Amino acid sequence: MRLVIEVWRQDTPQGPGRYETHTVDDATPEMSILELLDRLNDQLVENGLEPVAFESDCREGICGACGVTVDGNPHGPQRNTPSCHQRLAGYADGQRIRLEPLRSAAFPVIRDLVVDRSAMDRIIAAGGHVAIDAGTAPDANSLLVPHESAERALDMAACIGCGACVAACPNGAAHLFVGSKLTHLSLLPTGRQERGKRARAMLSEMEQDFGPCSLYGECARVCPAHIPLTAIAAVNKEGLRSFFRQKDD
Amino acid sequence: MASSQTAAGHPSRAMGSALPGADDAALELGRVRDARVRRAPRVPSWVLKVVMALSGVVFALYVLVHMIGNLKVFTGADHFNEYAHWLRTVLQPFLPYEGLLWVVRVVLLVCLVAHVGAAGVLWSRGRASRGTHRHQGLGLRNFTARTMLVTGVVLLGFVVFHVLDLTTGTGGAASTSFRAATLDQAYAYENLIASFQRPVAAAFYLLAMIALFLHLAHGLWAAVSDLGATGRRLRAVGYAVAGVLALAVMLGNIIIPISVLTGLLS
Repeated sequence: MRLVIEVWRQDTPQGPGRYETHTVDDATPEMSILELLDRLNDQLVENGLEPVAFESDCREGICGACGVTVDGNPHGPQRNTPSCHQRLAGYADGQRIRLEPLRSAAFPVIRDLVVDRSAMDRIIAAGGHVAIDAGTAPDANSLLVPHESAERALDMAACIGCGACVAACPNGAAHLFVGSKLTHLSLLPTGRQERGKRARAMLSEMEQDFGPCSLYGECARVCPAHIPLTAIAAVNKEGLRSFFRQKDD
Repeated sequence: MASSQTAAGHPSRAMGSALPGADDAALELGRVRDARVRRAPRVPSWVLKVVMALSGVVFALYVLVHMIGNLKVFTGADHFNEYAHWLRTVLQPFLPYEGLLWVVRVVLLVCLVAHVGAAGVLWSRGRASRGTHRHQGLGLRNFTARTMLVTGVVLLGFVVFHVLDLTTGTGGAASTSFRAATLDQAYAYENLIASFQRPVAAAFYLLAMIALFLHLAHGLWAAVSDLGATGRRLRAVGYAVAGVLALAVMLGNIIIPISVLTGLLS
């Protein structure tokens, strides 16, 4: 299968970037987007050209390192699937495919398809963790967590922090990401103790880089961890709760 | 690979050193810049969204009551005019003439300023956070969400026209036969018929009601989310109420100009 790739090339964070067109003649339907990039890079290196910089790590959809925009869709055209699992089966021989970085003012391009997602790290550093002395593991059944809470916390903890939700949002909002963290940590006994403090810290950090949510719902379409739109409501819920409660927990 | 700007000139972090014990220099690797998109705003976006949700809910309840009042037009001219007169004299002597109307007007005006002001700030923050590469190719997906600004502007224009047409009776907007309410008689029915007998006014009304439907359907659903409804049942109910209320207000209002134009009301 022959694919014409338009790929974003940008040498420095200051830009300017441009699209470069290359052709890969031996793409196969079972290849992933990242494997297509590998193939393209082999070709570029063979021809003495600079390979395209892109991020990837586990290639099994659990690390959150990869993430490119494919034909305008963060991660790719398939819903709720990370770039490493997006296959080329939907592409026809000779079709064009456009690859660009995840787009957001909060994610400046470092080089080519690699973006700086430290704006999300700053949110986690501000409060997306447990900062109390949790002691040693408690005895079994001494600290009961309802089954439903455990399930919901686990669903929200599935977020891999890839940033696709931000890139999918026409407002560059990070509500799905922040909401999933807030919900996950507020449901469990250790995380719950800093619930109010965490909400204030994470929200105030979020305000500085990310936009407001207009409920477009684009984030939940691309999220490879299937975080539901409910997470978005959790952002305001935790914000309101911490505002009226004015306590750390 | 990254031209990292190191800790020098680093803006202060919210909770001191981000990760106690971590290698700060290592954390800096791969960072292109430490500048934020904006400085911490005095009024956070989530608070503005709550303001929009609350003022929007006030508008929604108002248009619902307004629509129910409008439907009294089908009970006859006298009854409708009596209702209009009653609105001006209700709660007298505890409230002065038109007292309730002015309370409602002031509340609506405050909500309008808050709603439009917050919308403007949020719009510009959204654009700044998105950056230069706009999200394109959304098709008809989230059509109502993307057209909130357009439908909002249409509604704002309509509100101005509507007040000039049927409240103040200002020339140009109102029909030539407009008669203002007196202390003991209202002419709401006659004014309404005369206004809708102008096809352009009726068409604008129709357009505004479609805009209202789109704006309410998305706005109320967004309000459910912005007010922090995370429960499954609550969200389902909120979603249904948003759609049903928006549809009811549109349909209830739209049948009035249609009835006038088809001669059902005259």
